[in-house]
Amino acid sequence: MLRFLQERVNKTTKELDAKPAEVRTGENYSAEAATLATKQGRVQDLMRRLAEKLGKENDTEGGR
Amino acid sequence: MNGALRVLFASSLLVFAAAAQEEGIESPVPAVPVPPVAVQNPFQPFDRVRFEAAAQKLGATPEQIATFGKRIDEVGLARAADDLLRAAVPTFDAAVKVHESGDPAAAVELTRVLAATQDPLLQAHVRYHLARLFLDSDDPELSISTLNDYLEKNLNHSPLDAEAAYFYAQSLAEIPAPDLALPRFRAFLQWFPQASERFRSAAHQRIGEIERQNESRLHGLADGMKKTSRDLRKKRFDDPTQQDQKKYIEELDALIEEFQEKENQSGGKASGTGPSSNPANESALPEGDGSVGNLEKRPSLADRWGDMKDAEREKIQAELNKGLPPQYQKMLEEYYKKLGKAQK
Repeated sequence: MLRFLQERVNKTTKELDAKPAEVRTGENYSAEAATLATKQGRVQDLMRRLAEKLGKENDTEGGR
Repeated sequence: MNGALRVLFASSLLVFAAAAQEEGIESPVPAVPVPPVAVQNPFQPFDRVRFEAAAQKLGATPEQIATFGKRIDEVGLARAADDLLRAAVPTFDAAVKVHESGDPAAAVELTRVLAATQDPLLQAHVRYHLARLFLDSDDPELSISTLNDYLEKNLNHSPLDAEAAYFYAQSLAEIPAPDLALPRFRAFLQWFPQASERFRSAAHQRIGEIERQNESRLHGLADGMKKTSRDLRKKRFDDPTQQDQKKYIEELDALIEEFQEKENQSGGKASGTGPSSNPANESALPEGDGSVGNLEKRPSLADRWGDMKDAEREKIQAELNKGLPPQYQKMLEEYYKKLGKAQK
């Protein structure tokens, strides 16, 4: 799932990068950037949670 | 800082060789300059006589200075010193109160006080509060930039030096640039054994977290993604950002492959693929005394900015153009632009 979510963020990044200069100053463009940043932040949160979960499990297994 | 001291400070700097992270995941690089950690401690012991003389020059009365002396044991040296400066300089006190109330106009008010003074002690205190404000607003790079000025121009004037050093490391950790934050947290602990226990405990905790995270490729990935999220907020969609994102996919592919191998070898489901039975908690700062301001998260300034009426926002933005030097105008324009995006 993480891979899928990151792929979608990458795709949107490319799309926004390809937009013409005159579009880039508009309110919509700023809003799209903010939304995309939030999505990247969500993928990061999920990654962090997975890292912490696996870290805890490894600690538990190591302590056995 | 006088010329000789500046040379001593500069000559004591050595480049800290950032340890390459495992498995090719690179630590994010801050967009602002981060001077190397000083091998030799650039901070001098607090000179109370000099501090009180400087406070008097700013307008502190003998009674206010006497109160400062009495309050050190009660609230800690840094807080007592900040309170003395606030009592001596009403415009500074008013600006800090705006910050404490969570008003988005605080950045303008503090910057006005900064722009109006050449006094290094007052500059130190204003820059400290500005850096805290930027950090509270999820803008660690602006916080670092402000603390760079503090370290370059206002070092060894105020007992706030210890907290400035702590928040420098904290800002780097927030970027996140763990390789840069780690030696600075360690330097803080080494150089400020008398700092508030609250900050020392928090520094120990952050060091532990960073060390654990450095051992994990997944934490390295999450660190990179956090930096990318901030880049996207700044509309950096070009090749460097896309290359970072491409690396995340490659790294995720490699991790998935590893998990599948583990699953095949153990003949069952790989560890960590099911729902969490014990979700991670946010790291919490310990309770304690003796610090300026509040270490806990405040209500988001971005939310407050978003809740304001258009006329109120326009009034703050109009203030930016009234008599502030260009470098401060630029800093505040950048800050409010990001604050506006954060609440969307």
